[in-house]
Amino acid sequence: MESDELFINMGPVHPSTHGVARFKLRMDGENIKECTPVIGYLHRGTEKIGEMKTYLQFIPYTDRLDYISAFPNNYAFVKAVEELAGIEVPLRAEYIRVLTMELNRIINHIVSIGSLLMDLGAATMIMWGFRERENALQLFEMLCGARMTFNYIKPGGVREDIPDGFMPKLNEFLKDMEKRIDDYEQLINGNEIFHMRMKNIGVINAKDAVNYGWTGPTLRGSGVDYDLRKYEPYSIYPDLDFKVCVRNEGDSYARFIVRMDEMKESLHILRQVVDNMPASKEISSAEYGIAPMTGTPTGVSTYFPRIFTPPAGEVYSRIEAPKGELGFYVVSDGTTKPYRVKIRSPSFCNLTAIPSLVKGLKIGDLIAAFGTIDVVLGDVDR
Amino acid sequence: MNAAEELKALLPGSVISTGLQLNKPMAVIKKEDLLKAAGKAKDIGFDHLSVITGIDYKDHFEVIYNFFSYSKKQNLALKVNLDHDKPEVETLTSLWNGADWLERETFDLVGIKFIGHPNLIRILLPDGWNGHPLRKDYDMNTEQFVTIGENGDDVVSPDGTNLLRRK
Repeated sequence: MESDELFINMGPVHPSTHGVARFKLRMDGENIKECTPVIGYLHRGTEKIGEMKTYLQFIPYTDRLDYISAFPNNYAFVKAVEELAGIEVPLRAEYIRVLTMELNRIINHIVSIGSLLMDLGAATMIMWGFRERENALQLFEMLCGARMTFNYIKPGGVREDIPDGFMPKLNEFLKDMEKRIDDYEQLINGNEIFHMRMKNIGVINAKDAVNYGWTGPTLRGSGVDYDLRKYEPYSIYPDLDFKVCVRNEGDSYARFIVRMDEMKESLHILRQVVDNMPASKEISSAEYGIAPMTGTPTGVSTYFPRIFTPPAGEVYSRIEAPKGELGFYVVSDGTTKPYRVKIRSPSFCNLTAIPSLVKGLKIGDLIAAFGTIDVVLGDVDR
Repeated sequence: MNAAEELKALLPGSVISTGLQLNKPMAVIKKEDLLKAAGKAKDIGFDHLSVITGIDYKDHFEVIYNFFSYSKKQNLALKVNLDHDKPEVETLTSLWNGADWLERETFDLVGIKFIGHPNLIRILLPDGWNGHPLRKDYDMNTEQFVTIGENGDDVVSPDGTNLLRRK
């Protein structure tokens, strides 16, 4: 029997859209006939701001793109600038950077899984997850004074050295987190309702996922064995031992499991970073050095010149952010400000596939599929 | 031989020059042959369209396509130069579904027209917005006001008459 078509407006303010995404849904009874995402409610013109600020001034703006995991954003832009200007980074600074980025990957996946479960009606995970996230945020606060928007990674190094008392607290966190991930798995993985909501929902094969420009855990959930940390390594990742987590099913459950496994790999990476952290106190390129600074945990801060002019040129530099491939296309014309900053955000490119992903599913399944793509609207709209 | 030279050997008529984008091979393509060159790049293994960047150089536009090959683990960038008066280039949506939003974004913010795109409308800014913000001649001092209309779509006005508080 044919039923009348129904038009449903989901969002922009809807608890399951994680911010301000809007879906225009054409429904046939319970089934989605057509889904048209509408984005841009959080557009702040970050790329235009990039053209008006100096390289150093733009770093805080990158924090506000993907505000759940701001360290990789900092690093992606700084890496582009360093490649452009040919700045050498001391080993200790690279270790600190990877430490922050992997910690950030863990809390990104906690938030992702927690909010996914909450959207599906299970509130326990987000409560548990935010308990561990709080510990990680306190570590970030010790390190740079901020909990979410860090402005910590600078061209040539990092802003401040690790304060006293940080490492013992980090070790405590790592030990605790290992148990917690087991707890999460016991809570979620065997749950039959969860399986019914996730398995065979939002299925995409490897070829289509690549064609849509998917990257990160979403792509690895479709069986493509690719991770920029492994195959286009940057920073100290070549020296670290970790494996790329891949699942072949391509459904929502596979993407969820990839994130769970990645948390364990990140813990493994963090333990190696802690063990091998160089003892030297060099945290910034020798060219720029450090300067005394009151109010910082260690009493010194990295010096970086205000008048900084990288040579003219253009670079596209990309890293494996927790959500996927985060790239910065920076064009320098030899002045103090970039001529053009283009941000290739993983959330934006992963969201492209949602209309084809949810066609024929029910609204509740749209939430499951959307949750496993793991977007942050600040990163989508820029 | 890097990927850009490989492409030049396959399509000598379409590739104007080859070079490096810092450390990635880059080929400058004739604008009318872009679809052909991108299709050839896809054939030789460049299956991931990473990003599309439009740049306003005041006298001309550049559109840069960054590709990556999962099988070869190589990068490739293609660049086209467009006239400032008529910034038009063929769409790649027939080859990559992911090009859809990337091209809409470039159209929205830089004002490049992608010929043959199935749904070339603004994506980040609301319909009816004046100008393309990432052009160098964009007027930053003119205010534009956005409200949500009756059917949920955005309404733009230059004077703010559609704002409730101004009535």
